[in-house]
Amino acid sequence: MKARSAFSIQRDVIFAIFVREMITRFSNYTLGNIWLVLEPLLMMVLFIGLFGARGRGAYGFVEAPVFIFAAFLPFRTLWTATMRQSASARGGTKGLLEYRQVRLFDVFMARTFIEGGLFVVIGIILGLGMMWLGYDPWPDNLLLTLGYCAVLWLFAASFGMLACMVGSVAREIEKLVSMLTMPLMFMSAVFFPMTIVPQQYWVYLTWNPILHAMELIREGWMDNYTSPVADFYYLFGAMIICLAFAMSSYRLTWRRIVAK
Amino acid sequence: MIRFSNVSKYFPTRFGPKYVLKNLNLEIPDDRDIAILGTNGAGKSTLLRLVGGIDFPSEGKIVSDRFISWPLALASGLQSSLTGRENVRFICRIHGMRANRKTEEYVKEFSELGDSFELPVDSYSSGMKSKYSFAVSMGFDFDTYLMDEIMSVGDAGFKKKCEKAISNKRASANIILVSHNMDLLRRQCNAAILLAYGRADFYESVDQAIFRYQSL
Repeated sequence: MKARSAFSIQRDVIFAIFVREMITRFSNYTLGNIWLVLEPLLMMVLFIGLFGARGRGAYGFVEAPVFIFAAFLPFRTLWTATMRQSASARGGTKGLLEYRQVRLFDVFMARTFIEGGLFVVIGIILGLGMMWLGYDPWPDNLLLTLGYCAVLWLFAASFGMLACMVGSVAREIEKLVSMLTMPLMFMSAVFFPMTIVPQQYWVYLTWNPILHAMELIREGWMDNYTSPVADFYYLFGAMIICLAFAMSSYRLTWRRIVAK
Repeated sequence: MIRFSNVSKYFPTRFGPKYVLKNLNLEIPDDRDIAILGTNGAGKSTLLRLVGGIDFPSEGKIVSDRFISWPLALASGLQSSLTGRENVRFICRIHGMRANRKTEEYVKEFSELGDSFELPVDSYSSGMKSKYSFAVSMGFDFDTYLMDEIMSVGDAGFKKKCEKAISNKRASANIILVSHNMDLLRRQCNAAILLAYGRADFYESVDQAIFRYQSL
């Protein structure tokens, strides 16, 4: 055994968990790891088909399938999946903590990286498919869009981590969080732009940081869309606050969580 | 050297804190192989977990400059849906080993599993599992090995092989062994810690510790 620096230990551990999660998540399905990509892919195709086929979903600035693609992909992979995976990190990985160099935080990191990677992979596959069908699915301002996506991703990861930590004290939180996911989809402007929402209702929706993320991503993706409500500083602030709470609650509770 | 200074460990329960270890001051020398004795619930496994760094004292500090293994117990830390080989690869990766082919083959050979090595761990019988986890632990070079009842299962031939492997390891490393098999402790250890009445006492002689343990 050679002594390693703290950084290289953490890098090795995150990589090991990353590989292990990839192998185990769908290991007892017939198609195995293909489901890793296939599951969200099928869901996306379904939604794009469903809303796109109506044809009317276009709000004047982009075709309906591209609109759904630009909104549902980040929402589904970066928000829902990342948040869920982090929130459930405590349950499935008890055996991992038998090794002293493996900490719960590494599980959070590995799972967050997996979901981020899936976002990119699925985005590219679906984008190529839509290009084939004659659409122009790529973001008009790629860097800006990816930047907003990254903030949403970090927000999801820290929210999930916070839920996991609070869930270790009161298990009810897990139920609450899974109850929240469905209504959040309708409250986050995923399937409609905020421009069609009457102005007097904006106050009821704009408290939600995910809505800001969706609107900002839409702005970056489509040059001719300007959101009436999106506020980057609100989203960024929410992310920083959530991350701070998640980190501090982790620091306070992780020893109690590993203790049997 | 593994030094315990003022280590206390308690678990919060409905009836208040339940102390397993209280104000423990102890030094485990590098050249001693330690037997840990104690009745059920005396805190033997907790002590191992504390040394192994996967649990933490409620008060006090444990200091060490050695590479200490994870507490080797039956099927601990194994993912049952992964194959034997994949589990070894995982452990190699978290220990920062890049070339792990050699370790994989060593474990395969030592565990006598043959083709079962490529099957998921949850398809193993308990005897196979114990052989496998023992082989895994012998595949890595630590300074101190923590073993928790790991040799209680397995057939006679394999047990002999295990003891030989441990004797070899003892040349370059030391072991901390929890077992209810007194003959094994006598053969493999040259010092003992007896956990009783919420205290831990260090004994230079295993026989003396066993005598005290049996008259508890």
